[in-house]
Amino acid sequence: MPTIEVEREDLELLLGLHLPIDIEELNEVFSFIKGEVKYADEKEIHIDIKDSNRADIWGVEGIARALRGILGIERGLKRYRLSEEQGINVLVDQRLRNIRPYIACAVVKGIKLSDAAIRHIMRFQDKMDQTYGRGRRRTSIGLYDFDLITPPLRYTVSKPDETRFIPLGFDEELTLREILKVHPKGIMYGHIVEPYDVWPILIESKDKVLSFPPIINSNDLGRLTVETRNVLVEVTGTVYSTVLYTLTNVILALADRGGEIFPVEIHYPYEDLGCVRTPNLRNESMELNIQYVRKIIGIQLSLQEIIDLLERSRYGVSKILNKDALIVEIPCYRPDIMHPIDIVEDIAIAYDLNKMQPRWPQISTVGGLHRESSLRNLIREIMVGLGYQEVLTFTLSNPETLFGKMSIPPEKVVELANPKVSSMTCLRNWLLPNLMEFLSHNTHVEYPQRIFEVGYCVIHDEKQINKTRDLEKLACVTIHSSACFSEAKSILDALFTNLDLEYGLEEVSHGSFIDGRAGKIIVGGEEAGLIGEIHPQVLQNWNLENPAAAFEIELDKMWQCLKSR
Amino acid sequence: MDLRENERKVLLALKKANGRASIDELAESSGLAHVAVMRTALSLEAKKMVKIHERSITRISLNEEGKKYAEDKLPERRLAEILISMGGEAPIKCLLEAASIEGEMSAIALGWLARKGWARIDSKEQKVRLLREPETGADEKILTMLNMAGTLILEDLSGELREAFKMLKGRKIVEAHEETIRDLELTDEGWRLLERGVEVIEEVTQLTPELIITGKWREKKILKYDIKAPAPRTWPGKKHPYLRFLDEMGEKLIALGFKEMRGPIVEVSFFNCDGLYMPQDHPAREIHDMYLIKEPEYGDLTPYRSFLNQVKETHECGWKSGSKGWGYKFSLLMAARLMLRSHTTAVSVRTLISDELEIPGKYFAIARCYRPEFVDRTHLSEFNQVEGIVVGEDLTLRDLLGILERFAIDMAGADKVKFRPDYFPFTEPSVELSAYKKGYGWMEFGGSGIFRPEVTLPLGINVPVLAWGLGVDRLFMMKAGISDIRYLFTQDLGWLRRKGMI
Repeated sequence: MPTIEVEREDLELLLGLHLPIDIEELNEVFSFIKGEVKYADEKEIHIDIKDSNRADIWGVEGIARALRGILGIERGLKRYRLSEEQGINVLVDQRLRNIRPYIACAVVKGIKLSDAAIRHIMRFQDKMDQTYGRGRRRTSIGLYDFDLITPPLRYTVSKPDETRFIPLGFDEELTLREILKVHPKGIMYGHIVEPYDVWPILIESKDKVLSFPPIINSNDLGRLTVETRNVLVEVTGTVYSTVLYTLTNVILALADRGGEIFPVEIHYPYEDLGCVRTPNLRNESMELNIQYVRKIIGIQLSLQEIIDLLERSRYGVSKILNKDALIVEIPCYRPDIMHPIDIVEDIAIAYDLNKMQPRWPQISTVGGLHRESSLRNLIREIMVGLGYQEVLTFTLSNPETLFGKMSIPPEKVVELANPKVSSMTCLRNWLLPNLMEFLSHNTHVEYPQRIFEVGYCVIHDEKQINKTRDLEKLACVTIHSSACFSEAKSILDALFTNLDLEYGLEEVSHGSFIDGRAGKIIVGGEEAGLIGEIHPQVLQNWNLENPAAAFEIELDKMWQCLKSR
Repeated sequence: MDLRENERKVLLALKKANGRASIDELAESSGLAHVAVMRTALSLEAKKMVKIHERSITRISLNEEGKKYAEDKLPERRLAEILISMGGEAPIKCLLEAASIEGEMSAIALGWLARKGWARIDSKEQKVRLLREPETGADEKILTMLNMAGTLILEDLSGELREAFKMLKGRKIVEAHEETIRDLELTDEGWRLLERGVEVIEEVTQLTPELIITGKWREKKILKYDIKAPAPRTWPGKKHPYLRFLDEMGEKLIALGFKEMRGPIVEVSFFNCDGLYMPQDHPAREIHDMYLIKEPEYGDLTPYRSFLNQVKETHECGWKSGSKGWGYKFSLLMAARLMLRSHTTAVSVRTLISDELEIPGKYFAIARCYRPEFVDRTHLSEFNQVEGIVVGEDLTLRDLLGILERFAIDMAGADKVKFRPDYFPFTEPSVELSAYKKGYGWMEFGGSGIFRPEVTLPLGINVPVLAWGLGVDRLFMMKAGISDIRYLFTQDLGWLRRKGMI
């Protein structure tokens, strides 16, 4: 979700009206483009744009374009003229095929950029590079003063030490390799080209370097000023459609500021790609069924209403096929329109969600808990009745907590490939360690302490499609100066008695419990849990000074027994 | 007048002492401990039954030397007695030897013998002559009294004795200390009460089975308590306040006709992402937004092969969904990647392809979800989401708004609601719900939408599916008055014990 920072005056100039000062009123306006105003004063407005597929509104020009429609200032599809003149040529080197194969260019002529506009274009470029361009890995943008360039251009490669030029913001020539070492952008993005022997460069016919994509532009050619009248825009990248779309967005932003667009001929040497003219400003069409619109929204909108709402959303209606179908023209900057449903949403937004009459669905259903949730709640009720305080802990844990501090050898647990902190590296396979940890944080609190948790543990299970199994377990622990095994056992007795279930105990030797005071809980002939008096070593590991006794049991084993009756 | 056992005892003792006595005397005559009499005196004074008089007294006693004199008699008395036995006259030397008095004591003893006028000392002849039969002096009386009583109150003695005490003090054989003593005196009211009759009944603090069974409780008085005094604290067993809140949410959903659905913590990417039309290079699918499983890396999607292929084609070119698709090469392996469920919507996907799905149907899940975050005041790396779906032939956007409005009113107690267009990769249209509650203001309470055709059609569902999720954490925090999200998983037992259940 990108945050777009715009200058209020710049936006108002592009919009052609004044915006409210109050942040709530501003929010009402921006909500029509899925924007949420995060900050606003007389100079700046910061907006979170929720739609991560609409890069066209990640800049002030696109925002103005969309809002002009919603506010009724300018309706319908905005048509951009692409000059039919033969464009300049860009020759692509075959060796880029596996490095950064695609380039798209255009020239915008006769533009006058204010300082604010230049600042904004730089921000927009950076936003596109960071988010849509995935930190310049997928696409990166370059802008140049076209009048300083002698075509044709060559998009080619160079060995790291063979090419030198003055990178933006520097005053001396550096080799490509030096740029990676000393230039801030080289340090930041160098990892993208480093794996290759030769690196991409864009040069013109007099061998002046335009840029070293995706790292940095030339200080001589790649700097826009208020004097710049004609701008060359270039986008390089690894995904063809993204490269083209990114170029479209930048070009239209410039054209919205008054420039005329000229094409560029890209000559690819690839088997599947030859000569291409960019930018591609063709508007696609999609058939829209009126009944579909009505069915989704739930309002009997008239044909005229739908056309009106479409035009306010800056679509064009190129043809009315019949009373039930339209051909909708989709602006070239809206590749996010993949399905008629996307158009329906824009119609609904333009209609205004808050003007619709909400309706409780007229379907009759019977609600209910999942079978196993009912058992869980029953067990919680019994434990509460026995005076135990319910606690809630994290299911993410670490081997030291699960095994080390419980004085047992490590077991195989479900581990994370990308843990964020050392205390959360795996999923717990038993609950008791979490309860012990809880007690260790409460040594200053009045005793006796009696706590329980019903929660999930996760273990490996080859047979499942997700290769693991969730175990819902109950664990409880009592701690005070005279806590002992019998106390825990009396609680276990009470639990089973109240569930009309029976259990057996088998003596077990387990590091967490005192020898001779620990047992396996057997339910329906199967091992279902553990009960015991906590070993003094474990108490010491958790800095506890009172005796404690506990049990832990799998709910599923009890559930199976209940079901089989 | 309601009297306690000790009060009765002290009143009766006072009556016996004719209406006035000191604490010490009362302790002795009532058989109560000194402190008990003292405490009772205060409560009787509060009831205006007695008046406490305080007075300063001089308590006198013997010192070591005084005790010796009290045992052996004063030296001049001893000399006088020996002198009588020697016939009334004797040489000084013989007399002192016979009385075993020597050293500087000799002069003192002879001096007092002469000063009391019992004998004359003829220093020329070195003889002592008895002058008269020596009477028992007041000083000797005090010595005897002190020796018997231990201490006496100076002010209680006669003038003669007080004078004698001064003399003994001069001889440095007695000591005196100032102190305050309290006397109790019956008031008129106290007398009246006693005249009406006061009887001592035995009191009990704790009723015992024995008292009940034997009927002896009838003879006893059950002690009154100060019912305003603090009682020991009791901590009941309670459900965790956040879980109880989630239970309530569940109950309300059930009342609205929603069935609970469940799903696993470790999910196959197919259910968490791909089935929801999230492209495989979606920024939200990058490693920093989801926890991946280390080993094994992949699940087994064989049982879902046909769904998987339809989803693959939908991503690539739209399949039969009427969509253009994302237009990239879908990786089957990536769809099998194992991860921790990052949103409850994964459970909805499982329900949609489950054999148990009923159309029309309403479903909800309350499930633990995971995202790699550093835990702080506003972030948790695992949290609970309340989410659900409504599946049915004629459902529309207005039904979605109706569900949201109902939730806001039933669950958040909202006074009014507001809808804002929202974005989720798997719903279109998407709506955010804001709820307004007096005293709280506006709060984002939920996200929702209609599942995209690219989600439902490849999963074999050809009716609208309304999907919603509620921001219950924020609602709970608001209700519980907490601002730190970590309190949802608090390790603070004291807080859990004190936390009210309303």
